[in-house]
Amino acid sequence: MSEILVRAEGLGKRFPKSHRSSDRLRSLGRLLLGGGDVDGQQVLHDINLEVKRGESVAIIGENGAGKSTLLKLITGVLTATEGTANVYGKVGALLELGAGFHPEYSGRDNIAMAGALYGLNRTQIAQCLPGIIDFADIGAYIDEPVKHYSSGMVVRLGFAIIAALKPDLLITDEVLAVGDESFQKKCVRWMEDYLAGGGTLLLVSHSMYHVQKLCSHALWLHHGKVAMYGDVFDVSQAYLAWHERRQAAVASDHGVRAGQEFEIVEFTVNGQDESPAPVLDIGNSLRLRVRAGSRERRTPVVLFGVARADGTPVYGVSSEMDAVALEGGQSSVYCAEIEFEGIGLLPGSYMVKVHVLDSEGIRLFDTEERTLTVRGESREFGLVRLPHRWVRFVGEANE
Amino acid sequence: MNRFSLALHFVRRELHERYRGSFTGFGWAFLQPLLQLAIYAFVFVEIFKARIPGAGAPGYVPFLVVGLWPWIAFSDAILRSTTALQDNSALIGKVAVPREILVFAPCAAGFMLHLAGFIVILLVLALTGQGIRIQGIPFAILMYLPMFLYAYGAALCFAALQVFVRDLVQILGQLLTLMMFAAPIFYDRSNLPDRYQGWLDLNPFTGFVEAYRFLLLGHGNFGWGALGLVLAIAVISYLVGSWLFRRLDPHFEDFL
Repeated sequence: MSEILVRAEGLGKRFPKSHRSSDRLRSLGRLLLGGGDVDGQQVLHDINLEVKRGESVAIIGENGAGKSTLLKLITGVLTATEGTANVYGKVGALLELGAGFHPEYSGRDNIAMAGALYGLNRTQIAQCLPGIIDFADIGAYIDEPVKHYSSGMVVRLGFAIIAALKPDLLITDEVLAVGDESFQKKCVRWMEDYLAGGGTLLLVSHSMYHVQKLCSHALWLHHGKVAMYGDVFDVSQAYLAWHERRQAAVASDHGVRAGQEFEIVEFTVNGQDESPAPVLDIGNSLRLRVRAGSRERRTPVVLFGVARADGTPVYGVSSEMDAVALEGGQSSVYCAEIEFEGIGLLPGSYMVKVHVLDSEGIRLFDTEERTLTVRGESREFGLVRLPHRWVRFVGEANE
Repeated sequence: MNRFSLALHFVRRELHERYRGSFTGFGWAFLQPLLQLAIYAFVFVEIFKARIPGAGAPGYVPFLVVGLWPWIAFSDAILRSTTALQDNSALIGKVAVPREILVFAPCAAGFMLHLAGFIVILLVLALTGQGIRIQGIPFAILMYLPMFLYAYGAALCFAALQVFVRDLVQILGQLLTLMMFAAPIFYDRSNLPDRYQGWLDLNPFTGFVEAYRFLLLGHGNFGWGALGLVLAIAVISYLVGSWLFRRLDPHFEDFL
């Protein structure tokens, strides 16, 4: 199981200037005459990566960080400027959209072509064909030229082909983002089966939900360098935190909120005041505490909430709903604390939020959010583990 | 083996593509040189009263067929293959395909189509008593092999350069026309004044034309030395072409 499938050492890529024809000619001359370095835009620096059989690695990072370039180097579509990338085993790659389809040919012809490129002979392709058409599920479009396909259909067909080929290493670049909900689910389910069967996955995605669901490790690329590599929850957490800090920096430029009637003074998650909140293991308790200032010494209403990273609300409750009065003492700062004991959140990324409202619980004055990662292994579905027990029916079977 | 079946697949695709969407289908591969031949035959025979000097010289039409048809195969294959990488840039950017196959396919497909047409017209000419030597046809077909190697080498070269210099294919069209008139296709070596005759040997295609004339019409001279030269041209072209191609291959995607 420890067989290495991908090994990249000191991988670097520089794109030559190629817009002006004089640049192209100069590059051509240099390449032919024994290749002095071509000047250009450096997009990847010194990437080291090892992927073993059975591992699943996500590559995350902002737009333009070099994720797609890295995948292209690994698949051999691009040639590295520095370092080496070796792949041992059969690769099925779905790079960006299109998957190398010829727009003038029908879906069927493109399947044959992709199969031939993968190294199948005609009979093998013919055997795979029904399965591919069935998985892609694009109906009569299979005999239409690919140029008439919607982008979703192109991805469906591309993924169906990859699924039928069962490669040693599956490389996908932002594929799930295009398909509709049901196809996404189908793909995720297929990838889970594929991974369970010992498959190896390299995935580029901006959806932390998919990343955390499918991958065990993550590589965070930042400006063409490895910012972090390790356990998927740690890396995605750090990545989200970085995003948050950046957004906060933007927001604080124009976000002067002085003179509000109510404002948040301090918000702590499990005792920590900074974002991201400390990583939670599945089944841990979550304690949220807020200190809210009130200018006119009126008691505010505080609402705590948890949402999935994409914004889907999970649960929210306010002090007013539970008829809890905040303690203020003599100062103008009111304090509220809530504990979710053994919170049933399933592994993934979440947001915890606090809202401060006026005494009537009608006007919203201040909000603060923290990302929260729940770590753990679970095959359960959904967001939350609902309290449950399995009921045995005694007697029914023995009658 | 895998590479071979992949090449076969691409050649098949290329053949498919040439007749897809056209009414004449494969026939066009035959019609086009035929039309060209009719035009040239009319201009040269009826207007310029062209004649091959010497006693027992072949008629002008079979003389022209034997030189022009292989030339069309040669130049057509080169022109089509030159843009092969550019035309397949979508594929090159997504899949790690051996790129020389993309050049090989249009080149081979062109040769196959034109060779089929060539055989048909030779048989027609032979049966109508135009002085084609039937026993020479298999050897003429064999001569297509070094000619293909020559064309493929040139195609590898031009296809690789085309990625960097996009106007190459336009220039190439002009250069090929020049090369056509600089080879003894429309005329015979003996039509030229003595002091120019030696210049013809500078054109690598001269050897091929004279080989076909000798094999199919029994016209002119084509010895072992000339054959050796033709083979050497083919091998050198292939070696230079694949060296250049391999040298530039890793950088295609950057410039497409």
